Amino acid sequence: MDFYLTALLQGLCFSGVALGIYISMKIFNIPDITTDGSYTLGAAVTAVMLTHHQPTYVALPVVTIAGAAAGALTGLIHTKLKINALLAGILVMTALYSVYLALMGRSNLPLINVSSLFNVVNISTDPNYNTFWILLIFVTIITTCIGYLLKTDFGLAMRATGNSETMIRSLGVNTDRMKITGLALANALTAISGYLICQQQGFTDISMGIGIVIIGLGSVIIAETFINWLRIASVWPSLLLVLGGAIIFQFVLAITLDIGVDPIFLKAVTAVFVLLIVSLPRLSFRNKA
Amino acid sequence: MKTLKYLLLFFTLVIICSCKSNTKNNIPVIGFVDAFEDASIAPARTGFIDALKKNGFSDEQKNIKIEYRNAQGSIPTLTQIVNYFVSEKVDLMATCTTLSSITTLQKTKTIPVFVMVAPTAKLMNMEDANGKGPANMFGTTEDLNYIDTSFSNIPKFLKPKSAKLVVGMIYNQSEPQSVDAKKRIESLADKLNITLIALPLNSSADAQLVTQSLLSRNIDAFFANPDNSVFSSFETILKNCDQKNVPIFTSEAGLVQRGAVAAFGADIYQWGYQAGEKAAQYLKNHSTSGLQPEMVKVRKRVYNVAAAKKYNITVPSNFEPVK
Repeated sequence: MDFYLTALLQGLCFSGVALGIYISMKIFNIPDITTDGSYTLGAAVTAVMLTHHQPTYVALPVVTIAGAAAGALTGLIHTKLKINALLAGILVMTALYSVYLALMGRSNLPLINVSSLFNVVNISTDPNYNTFWILLIFVTIITTCIGYLLKTDFGLAMRATGNSETMIRSLGVNTDRMKITGLALANALTAISGYLICQQQGFTDISMGIGIVIIGLGSVIIAETFINWLRIASVWPSLLLVLGGAIIFQFVLAITLDIGVDPIFLKAVTAVFVLLIVSLPRLSFRNKA
Repeated sequence: MKTLKYLLLFFTLVIICSCKSNTKNNIPVIGFVDAFEDASIAPARTGFIDALKKNGFSDEQKNIKIEYRNAQGSIPTLTQIVNYFVSEKVDLMATCTTLSSITTLQKTKTIPVFVMVAPTAKLMNMEDANGKGPANMFGTTEDLNYIDTSFSNIPKFLKPKSAKLVVGMIYNQSEPQSVDAKKRIESLADKLNITLIALPLNSSADAQLVTQSLLSRNIDAFFANPDNSVFSSFETILKNCDQKNVPIFTSEAGLVQRGAVAAFGADIYQWGYQAGEKAAQYLKNHSTSGLQPEMVKVRKRVYNVAAAKKYNITVPSNFEPVK
């Protein structure tokens, strides 16, 4: 079962991306492409700081600020220059490639003999269990903060911006500011995911962010299926389901690898598994009607 | 009813998760990790398996079990593959190319890892403060010396169009060995009195554009530095260079097969074979004593007959035609 534990760990590490995409979906109705860039940015900043012997708790705020800056930039380009949100994200993501290449100085930076988040405290002697507990605490704190934020007046206005921008503007909310802060928040979360993954896998690679937006989007859509099926409206269960979505996504991959399908069909089988999971609720609906 | 449905879903998941027989017998298991699909890299695995077979270990004889996983270019998948092998406690791991080697060596410090088609620990930045590579790293590696020979061959083959020979190359910013090779070639070009124009190519989609941009600068030759972007877009590069009558030189025999003029460099099949021999040695006495990462031994000078004829290049007799 050790292997499934590591899949769970990876899922927990991706929870930041999933939460980030969830927020950007709420305010934009489209996923934020900056994710691919800010994820690697987070990992690159972490790797550079840790290899320069900075403690991991110093790296975390820097990573968060870096991610937030990337998101805010996308928001500014979208709202002030009136560029399509998708293009704004693509532009920032493309430009970030040069940023982390310059930051790291090379394309792959392994973490050798450095302190990481996962050996700050020793809760369990088994490194995997230790990582699990630390991640669980970390993700719980992050989710609690986000959940609380989304329930405040500010959070409510931000979520409503995605539903009906015109109405929210007529209520006297500055929707531009909502979008910029929302995107900054989403990308800060994504960068934190990069921060976690980098320390969990032990290296940062420049191409690690390619397609990450798909993982986040997959997690959110799996979660949405369950949210619609169970008719959930409140914030807390939704956030938990999003986290669950991220974990399911990694589990599906783990199962496919465990069964040992021919590598040629790896992706197809993964897709079929996800299809099964999201279609199961729908099938049982039809039976009921 | 609703709880029933939950339960149903839950149990289906549990059943899916648990349908794995835990029959563990005493056959040694080899976990083979590949990071992506590539025709030029694939011979390494064949070489590795052939070397094991030659030493009496094969799937057919049922005295080893080779489990092969390919991450299809996705790093999260790659990490999971490595996690899988590590938690299955395979007896040894074989990793092909740099990225899979780094991922594996970061995840396990105990299972012996036989790397192939990967640079030395130093070039991978995997050395600790004392300049030592990971203790469980074995197999066959390569430093950048071969590039000197392959690159310095170019002036022997070609006469410059203008006063100074101009060589164009592309490199992949996302691959450490490609960037290192480019730096090496830059300093080498200075010594050999060659003007080097290097442009980054990070995805094979841009190959056409970048190659055209190089060709528009009137280069005498194209140096195809073997990295993933060159491997995957070589046909595009070749087509464009052919139209402008620019010969391609490289350091990898596989690319000569695909149309480059000449190469001096490692044979990917032999590279895997050499790593496989070391893995067999480990399987025989189950000890890593006496084993250490070693340099790739078989390097070949090869040329492509058709391409050499097209560009009127006389190839020295120590080059053999590629099959």
